[in-house]
Amino acid sequence: MQTTQRPAVSEAVAKSRKKRELIKNVVAYSFIAPNFVGFAVFTLVPMVMAVALAFLSWDGSTNNPITFVGIQNFIDLFQDAKFRQALINTVAYAVITVPLTMAASLGLAILLNQQIRARNFFRTMMFFPYVASMVAVTAVWNMLFNPAMGPVNMILSGLGVENLPRWSVDNNWFICMGTVILFSIWKFMGYYMIIYLAGLQGVNPDLYEAAALDGASPWQRFWYVTLPQLRPTTFFVTVMLTIQCFKVYDIFLMITNFGPGGKTRVLVGNIYEAAFTSRKFGYSSAIAMVLFVLVLIVTLVQFRGEKSMNE
Amino acid sequence: MKKLMKKAMALMLALLMVAGLAACGGPSGEESKAPEATKTTESKAPEGGNEPAGDEEVTLKWAVWDINLTTYYQPLIDAYVADHPNVKIEMVDLGSADYQNALITQLTGNADLDVVCVKDIPGYANLVKGGYLADLSGEGIDSAPYGGTIEQITVDGKFYALPFRSDHWVIYYNKDLFDKAGVDYPTNDMTVAQYDELARKLTSGTGADKVYGSHFHTWRSAPSLFAVLDGKNTVVDGNYDFMKSTYEWVLAEQNDGICQDYGTLKATNTHYSGVFFNNQVAMMNMGSWFIPTQIEKVKSGESQATNWGIVKYPHPEGVAAGTTLGTITSVAVNEATAKKDAAMDFVKFVGGEKGAEIIAKTGTFPAIKSGAVLDELAKMDGFPTDENSKEALSTTQVYLEMPMHDKAADIEGVLNEAHDGIMTGAMTIDEGIQKMNDEVGALLG
Repeated sequence: MQTTQRPAVSEAVAKSRKKRELIKNVVAYSFIAPNFVGFAVFTLVPMVMAVALAFLSWDGSTNNPITFVGIQNFIDLFQDAKFRQALINTVAYAVITVPLTMAASLGLAILLNQQIRARNFFRTMMFFPYVASMVAVTAVWNMLFNPAMGPVNMILSGLGVENLPRWSVDNNWFICMGTVILFSIWKFMGYYMIIYLAGLQGVNPDLYEAAALDGASPWQRFWYVTLPQLRPTTFFVTVMLTIQCFKVYDIFLMITNFGPGGKTRVLVGNIYEAAFTSRKFGYSSAIAMVLFVLVLIVTLVQFRGEKSMNE
Repeated sequence: MKKLMKKAMALMLALLMVAGLAACGGPSGEESKAPEATKTTESKAPEGGNEPAGDEEVTLKWAVWDINLTTYYQPLIDAYVADHPNVKIEMVDLGSADYQNALITQLTGNADLDVVCVKDIPGYANLVKGGYLADLSGEGIDSAPYGGTIEQITVDGKFYALPFRSDHWVIYYNKDLFDKAGVDYPTNDMTVAQYDELARKLTSGTGADKVYGSHFHTWRSAPSLFAVLDGKNTVVDGNYDFMKSTYEWVLAEQNDGICQDYGTLKATNTHYSGVFFNNQVAMMNMGSWFIPTQIEKVKSGESQATNWGIVKYPHPEGVAAGTTLGTITSVAVNEATAKKDAAMDFVKFVGGEKGAEIIAKTGTFPAIKSGAVLDELAKMDGFPTDENSKEALSTTQVYLEMPMHDKAADIEGVLNEAHDGIMTGAMTIDEGIQKMNDEVGALLG
């Protein structure tokens, strides 16, 4: 008897467990659903549409036909000098801005993690550029770096510098690009400083104590304790900053207007121009796809790097 | 469980995709209804009358920008509604900054707009290409009073918008700065070379006391379009070698400190009005749209250039005085509207002679510039009282800043970029012109 009853009981228990799990999952997914619907409507579906659009030719008018052009948009893309220039500029901007912003924000975080007077005031001051309006701060920045009578050039002139830089309108690519990079670092270092500060709070003080007992210098303590302990934070900052740099548009628009003579054009600027000036939505989507793949590759490489370091 | 979840997810995604596609496909469903609605209204409307809507209550929606800053919208509506009590006009403000894109988005989404303003030629070209505007060429509109502007926006024998505002470029000058320099005021028959000579005579001082003889705003049209005034070339031809001498002249003025540096103006986002208000420039080439602003700012005390005047635009040697550049703002009927007759009637009113008189009373330049309209403009309180200024309101030949071309927006982008390169010194004049020739050439195929 016992042998025939046992499977029936265990089956009933399993069924009830399954039912409980199902209810649990339905409840969980019902919480996720509102956010997911928003994500699907405003991000997922447009993304899928953009992928499809990259292989079509369309001027955005419902009165005109949409034609399938295969990979023609991508062929045109790589023959387009403006695209190549925007690609180089975007990559160069990201490659220079990411490490410099990280170094600046980490340095600030370590400084403002010390027990110094008015620490909170300085932390707020450093965070302020991040929350300030982009339009307002770029206007101030342009005044400071006014090539004719800006305070920065006045100081440089006072120091005896000849051939003063013309900053955002300089015909030297390194100077006009450098002006934007300098602004980006100043604007964003406060935000990433906060992330690093949060990371620093998680470093076990015992490690510093042990290192000090072993005779480690402050530099060695930073190199062998702080940096490794901040690795997850650094990984997060790198990924976020890289994505942010590849998506850049507003800073270039406000500071150089992609000039002089289109020297500082970036990919998102090209996407906007192709879609809303030339009304080539297919071509614009093709640029967006390239940008998407680029960011995806960089992020995957970073994830792989982080994983192998952990192993 | 995993399988169940996968199935649920797949179903959800599929549903979302279908919902998305259905949402995008919405307008086509609407489209099929639109012609029916049009037919219904058309069949009710009386034929050929001035009151096509008859006594039937009609509400027209009019896409505009900057309702609060524009003085002529409401007077136009009030005057029209007074004659057509059955018609109600509702304005829809799409904002100024990105008006053309906002308008196309609305029209693509089959928004119930009946009448639309068209801001510029590249925007007009995009609207025509997209098939959004109704053909006005069969509406019995006489193009003669529009000074050739209708012909300049005609595509394959048809035009789709009626100009209601038309501004032309003139020279604003500061009489006090001329008196101080002991130089005679400019005249209405001045060549470009004489303008340059005058600008050099008027330049003086250094630092905060510096007075610039001329001022070129950062727009490409401000310096470079002197090159098209001889009528031999246009900016949509695909070859820009003819612009070389104009750029040489403008850069020489810039290098000699006769006008302010383009790069500095661009970096500081300096508005042209500020430098004129502050007595920093003796002469400035700008559109007639600046006249009401200057009058108003003199009254409010914001403009210190209280003793001022205007003269006709400088012309190349051998070209008639009064030859200048112009811009138009037009009004059009949405091709998909169900109230086409009523919308057409309103458009004809706004762009017609009655509309022009109402617009002129607000100090704005209408497209039709009859003698009565010019008198009305010259009577504006605060308009310079000298005869030359009044005479400068009339023109001989007006070339649109950007002629009609189906690739106008793309061409404009290339020209603006090359202009920026030339003016900042990022490119030599030859390099900039080569860029224009190559890139516009590629666009034109």
